Amino acid sequence: MKLPSLLATLLVAAATSLYAEEKVVVYNWAEYISEDSLAAFTQETGIKVEYSTYDNNETMYSKLKLQQGKGYDIVVPSTYLVSKMRAEGLLQEIDHKKLTNLPNLSISLMNKDYDPGNKYSIPYLWGSTGIAVNSKEIDPATIKGWADLWDSKWQGKLLLIDDLREVFHMALKKNGYSTNTTNPDELKTAYEDLQKLMPNVRVFNADSPRQPYLSGDVNLGMIWSGELIMAQQENPDIQYIFPQEGAGFWVDSFSIPAGAENVENAHKFIDYMLRADVGKKVVEELGYSTPNGEVRNLLDGKYLNNKVIFPPAEAVDKGEFQKDVGEAMKLYNEYWEKLKAGK
Amino acid sequence: MIKPLFTFRYSVIALTLFWLGLFVLVPHVLVLIVSVLSPDPQHLVVWPLTLDSWARLFDPLYLEVFWYSLWLSGLTTLICLLLGYPFAWVLAQLPAWWRGVLLFLMIVPFWTNSLIRTYAIKLSLGNKGVVNSLLVGLGITDEPVELLYTPFAVVFGLVYVLLPFMVLPLVASFDKLDKHLLEAARDLGAGWWQRFRHVVLPLTMPGVIAGCLIVFLPAMGMFYVSDLLGGAKNLLLGNIIRNQFMVVHDWPFGAALSVALIMLMAMLLWLYFAANRRINRQGGLDDDGI
Repeated sequence: MKLPSLLATLLVAAATSLYAEEKVVVYNWAEYISEDSLAAFTQETGIKVEYSTYDNNETMYSKLKLQQGKGYDIVVPSTYLVSKMRAEGLLQEIDHKKLTNLPNLSISLMNKDYDPGNKYSIPYLWGSTGIAVNSKEIDPATIKGWADLWDSKWQGKLLLIDDLREVFHMALKKNGYSTNTTNPDELKTAYEDLQKLMPNVRVFNADSPRQPYLSGDVNLGMIWSGELIMAQQENPDIQYIFPQEGAGFWVDSFSIPAGAENVENAHKFIDYMLRADVGKKVVEELGYSTPNGEVRNLLDGKYLNNKVIFPPAEAVDKGEFQKDVGEAMKLYNEYWEKLKAGK
Repeated sequence: MIKPLFTFRYSVIALTLFWLGLFVLVPHVLVLIVSVLSPDPQHLVVWPLTLDSWARLFDPLYLEVFWYSLWLSGLTTLICLLLGYPFAWVLAQLPAWWRGVLLFLMIVPFWTNSLIRTYAIKLSLGNKGVVNSLLVGLGITDEPVELLYTPFAVVFGLVYVLLPFMVLPLVASFDKLDKHLLEAARDLGAGWWQRFRHVVLPLTMPGVIAGCLIVFLPAMGMFYVSDLLGGAKNLLLGNIIRNQFMVVHDWPFGAALSVALIMLMAMLLWLYFAANRRINRQGGLDDDGI
């Protein structure tokens, strides 16, 4: 008689703990979601969101790699990392049937070669990396492209994004190469060019690049489009320039790690974020571009006509999206280490 | 009745050893093992064993970072000593009540996480921070002085965070200093400089060395201070180590750097004990060194 009652207790305990653990563990970029939407998601679905953030792709990748894809239910890698993580078996297939709002996404950002058929990634936000100028201090008309950052009058004045692919993008584009080059000679040229840029660098930042502009510590340098929109809400003098050599473009997507424990909830979360009203709030708050067509239908003209959020076609044509560079990453890393040590 | 006490003593020792073994020895052995494996982008580390990572320590690039890191940490230690020594001396002269209050005041800020305090320094040193507003406002300078994101800011931050670690051992040293020795020296005709040079300094030397050690070594590794205040350039050894693990994914090299730092610490500790013995020998009183 004792055993069944014990079993029953255990079952009840298990059931309550299961109920209590209705959750989804989200690991996202810092300042990359509308806080309200997390609370609203929990209210609507009863699923608790455990939320933590990272400030560059590599940190997230390291953690996931170390934990063999366990510990998180949602991550938000950039395109080049999607292909890398997919190839390494760190991601699991996303069941499109569970995503009722998937048709909201516009076709132009779907089915790219980093993830054919979007089996492992659902585009969340996209944006560009361009130049920020404080127009009170520097005439924006004098800054045309990346090459202008090399001017020796900016010694010790610039902010660069603390991300090697972004920094190499400038030098590669300046020299007319692809941002996804794997050619060692082109990389070497870019590296040697960046060496000349280093004396101009005041600070590397990736957790919140707008802050040094807002605090007046830098007036010129790189910035992400969304960070710029957020900066403008506090200081409209900070302006965005699409460099004539081409801005960097990226797409960040929702992915489900291979070892995710709450797969069902992860799907619910993605589906929720794809909803037009939720996506609208994200764009309004963060200022990044959305691949969600339905969201665009809801947005105010002031957002739709903002060239930073929805860049003109010519700027997109000139720019380039990041892809995985495979083995060449080793060379990128090597040069990056040297640059950051001031070599 | 002796037996329970006996078992208690052994279980306490066993627990401590277990704790140290599990959380100190095992991790360090793992780090050591990783440092001789080969890096691999797919699996982080793989066989075969290799000393490549160790050889890379002597790459001029990293040697230069090492020297620069050494220089910044050395400067930090020196400034901490110059600030901390007189402070500890004054503190030791004060009545016990005052000494308690002052020590307490020094320690209070350290109840706040050092990361938060570093952010606060960042705000104060910025172009529109308190310091520059004051300088420009008082007309001392026309333009804000560039303080933030410079080596100066890094050293300032390190000194601020590490100063108590210099002061506390020094206070302990001054506490032990017998005042009668100073009186005796004065009676024998020693001037203030001679009293300082031949009595105070040698007797507080253990405190000086202990303080320098526990300031110098953490200073080499505090990557967040140089990230926040130095603009995330690779200034300290700690930044390089962090990058190996988090960005470049070259774990063996990161491990080799960590082990090298630990070895440096061991060497310095050995120097400390050696110096301590020598000082005790010269001390005259309490001469148990021979």
